[in-house]
Amino acid sequence: MIITTILVFVALLALSCLLWLAKAHASTSGALKNPAEHLRAVDIEAFRNLVDPDEEEFLRTNLPPADFRKIQRERLRAAVDYVSCAAENAAILVRLADAARRSSDPVTAEAAEKLVNNAIRLRLYALHAIPRLYLGMILPGSRISPARIAESYEQMTRQVVLLGCLQYPTRGVSAAL
Amino acid sequence: MHALFNALFYYLWIAPHVLLAVILVLIVHRKLHRQFPMFFLYTALEILQFGVLFRMWVSDPHFGGGYERLFSAGMTVSSALRFGVIYEVFGQLLADYPALKESGKTFFRGVTVLLLLTGVAVSFFIPGKSVDLLMFATNTLDRTVSLLQCGLLLSVFIVSRHFALSLRGHAFGIALGLGTYASVQMATSAVLLGVGSTSSRFPNFITMAAYHCCVLIWICYLAVPERAATRTLDTLPEHNLDIWNRELQHLLQR
Repeated sequence: MIITTILVFVALLALSCLLWLAKAHASTSGALKNPAEHLRAVDIEAFRNLVDPDEEEFLRTNLPPADFRKIQRERLRAAVDYVSCAAENAAILVRLADAARRSSDPVTAEAAEKLVNNAIRLRLYALHAIPRLYLGMILPGSRISPARIAESYEQMTRQVVLLGCLQYPTRGVSAAL
Repeated sequence: MHALFNALFYYLWIAPHVLLAVILVLIVHRKLHRQFPMFFLYTALEILQFGVLFRMWVSDPHFGGGYERLFSAGMTVSSALRFGVIYEVFGQLLADYPALKESGKTFFRGVTVLLLLTGVAVSFFIPGKSVDLLMFATNTLDRTVSLLQCGLLLSVFIVSRHFALSLRGHAFGIALGLGTYASVQMATSAVLLGVGSTSSRFPNFITMAAYHCCVLIWICYLAVPERAATRTLDTLPEHNLDIWNRELQHLLQR
């Protein structure tokens, strides 16, 4: 009877999760209506600095081991925040570019298509990078090089600019987004 | 009270299948059978199965083994087709996003294997009880299949949410309806196996009511045209653009 109760509980939990996810999916248009509320600034250089192996090596050689581990953990925690932030931005950009993909202008549609793919790629990289960064926090000496995230993010932001220019050539990026 | 239960039973058995016939017409009318061939086949077979079973029930209320065998066979086919429908929904979700195609398929396969192993483990370690071997096998299959389907549909919504993908209206409705039904079916099949009775009315009523809700969800989503085309970037409000500019300037700083 206990096992039956557990299975029923699991089923009800699954139903609740499903309904919550469905409701959240249905209300994602909120981000399109007011994107500025959701989009956050991400300093790519600061992120690069946080995950730079040379910087890590410099800290390792110049700090006592205990201090290095403490600082390295802090640096990686900050890096996780940066990646999460970039991934959240990417999700918003997916929604925006999704709408732009339906543009009647083929150039805009193509730029939007590229932006969607890059934003998705960034979220995929983030999905892999965040556990690695956490692993780095547990083992502060281990090597982490999520350079591909930085590259992908740069590529994505370039495409945002391009999409902006294509959408509203006279107004620049701000008007497009 | 008995008459009320009977009326409720007949309503919950007949009404969803009448609505399924409406869905079938809608699918053909909107030419959705090209987009969702599995769902079309599933709907058609559900109606056919109902027709045959209902006729058997009416001709002989004290139905024998023939009815149960047909019911079990029909349920097995329906379960298999529902997997096809889930795969179809997942395919629809990934079709618009080439960057996610390979990873999505790998994820879907991984989740299927994981859920299958969980389902087999649950069946092995928590076998349940029943006097009727056929109905025991049917309920065990039911529980395993609903666990798998519920998990797969949850993963569809999780992937969609994580990557901010837009699951189109019809596919969304089909997934939501099927997910609702699968999760309730998982609970009721667990109760039926736990109690050891196949004729227990309450869990059966719950399953039938859940199926009715599932069909209602389908009809709600299939009856209306997809809204996606109305959402374009040009509709963004003007007053938000300056804020966006600042956000992007921050974003592009190096």
